[in-house]
Amino acid sequence: MSKVRRKLGVAISAYTVVIVSMIFFILPMVWIIYCSFRTQASIFTGKVISHLNEFTLENYETILSVTDYPTYFFNSFKIALSVSLLSLICSIVGAYGLSRFRIKGKNAIIMGIFSTQMFPQVLLIIPMYLIVFSLQMLDSVIGVVLGQLILVLPFSIWMLKGYFDNIPVAIDDSARIDGCNVLQRLYYVILPLGAPGIMVAGFFSFVVSWGDYLIVSIISQSQRTATATLVIQRLSSALLIRWGQVAAAAVLTIVPTIILFSFVQKRLVEGLTAGAVKE
Amino acid sequence: MIKGWAIGLTAVAHPVFSHFNMKLRKQQGIMLILPAILVMGLFTVYPLLEGLRMAFTNKHLLKEGVRYVGLQNFIRLLSDEIFWVSLYHSVLLTAVVVFLQFVLGLILALAMNQKLPGMSLFKSIIMASWVIPVAATVILFKFMAQPDIGLINIVIKTIGFENLNRYWLGDPNVALPFIMLLHLWRNVPFYGVAFLAAMQAIPESYYEAAEIDGANTRHKFWHITLPGIRNMVIVMVTIHVLWTFNNFDFVYLATGGGPVNATDVLPVYVYRQCWTSYTIGYGASIGTVMLLLLMIYFIVFIKISERDKIA
Repeated sequence: MSKVRRKLGVAISAYTVVIVSMIFFILPMVWIIYCSFRTQASIFTGKVISHLNEFTLENYETILSVTDYPTYFFNSFKIALSVSLLSLICSIVGAYGLSRFRIKGKNAIIMGIFSTQMFPQVLLIIPMYLIVFSLQMLDSVIGVVLGQLILVLPFSIWMLKGYFDNIPVAIDDSARIDGCNVLQRLYYVILPLGAPGIMVAGFFSFVVSWGDYLIVSIISQSQRTATATLVIQRLSSALLIRWGQVAAAAVLTIVPTIILFSFVQKRLVEGLTAGAVKE
Repeated sequence: MIKGWAIGLTAVAHPVFSHFNMKLRKQQGIMLILPAILVMGLFTVYPLLEGLRMAFTNKHLLKEGVRYVGLQNFIRLLSDEIFWVSLYHSVLLTAVVVFLQFVLGLILALAMNQKLPGMSLFKSIIMASWVIPVAATVILFKFMAQPDIGLINIVIKTIGFENLNRYWLGDPNVALPFIMLLHLWRNVPFYGVAFLAAMQAIPESYYEAAEIDGANTRHKFWHITLPGIRNMVIVMVTIHVLWTFNNFDFVYLATGGGPVNATDVLPVYVYRQCWTSYTIGYGASIGTVMLLLLMIYFIVFIKISERDKIA
């Protein structure tokens, strides 16, 4: 009897946590999606429920056809894809090296990579701006990509090293006996077995780059490289804010990250924490 | 394509350049991490050293002529009120946010660890707040904080607290706690899901053995669950102290440090010094202080966690 009662108590408290969390974490997103379909007048009534005739696609039409938003959205895509690709190449190869080879001062290298998380980005960005300037890459996609690369590379390497460490070395060894060289082992053993971790690392890079404000705000100088993130910020700090349109632009900027998230969701935690779980 | 190229490489390298191959094998590891090290050298280590050097100069973004000024920037810091306010806010924000994230994340993980209907759906959507851009998070909350039309104020008015209706980020007394709330909104689910992963790695047999010995729920939590997730806690807390202390965009995008410096934190102050006032040398000196503080934290933390490990 008391056991049943205790179980019931646990279930009630667990569901309480779930309900409170849903309200706190999910409701704000539902609310902005809901409001992105309301007219300005409807939002300004200060009521939660709108009449049916107050719903509209106008906000999205304006953002997509009147403003330059599509250009910025496309810029974001170009930049985030390049960052993911470059960071994957560097971090897969690097993590493979750290996970499988004897390297002099390996621990120092790992510690060094980890300790870059300590460096204030606002301090790094000053000389970075001057480097990008002297390379004549200011306001270029490649300039932004190189800048953002350092945001994701340390964590990517650390994460993938943890992931690769969990792949049994015996598989590598048998592949070597079968005559596979370093690159073949990377290609035939590490890539397929590490695929879930690699997917998460790619996702992480994409999301960080997509959401970056600091580096874009310094290196981007014009429409050519401005990103969606930069632009929703500008929209939302205008003097007269059209909240319906801001909501629509914000929703459009959120959507790609949520879609990608739904693909990697199951693997996300396992991948992100690979470096921390293994002993 | 890579496959063909790689096989070609071995075919050539193996018989002819076997000596070279041996040497190559020794260097393989270092060759593999070279690209990452080069990128990080050029865009992290070099800028860091440059930044530290600039902290001792009077560099101005728009003026020619740079010279070393010794410790002048740091002496100026001592009497800079905004610096002290920002430092206080940074430390307070980091301490409160990381602590609450840890506690709330733990509660969330304990709830998710129950095998109940609907829990897997909940687990699959709860991390959504972590993946969306911070700029979007800020817009979500700015919108909800609007007077009269924001959801927060609508709810508050409905339950009868008409006089609390205000722009929450515009009130110096609540702006900083409100920004802390934004941090929690983004990160608590990540903590929860990470702690859950660590909890599920604890062997079930530990709990069974404890039950036989008559341990109650609280005993099991303190003596099995908490020690079991210890490593994860250390990693999450360490990394979030660094990330939160260095975080720039929450405050900058939400309030820009205002109203009247009520939410100013060090990264935002550095940014304003560099890109609004263009006084790069002075900005770099504040950044240097940030780095020093984090290094002290890092060293103390490592010492403590190593001592605990031995004990």
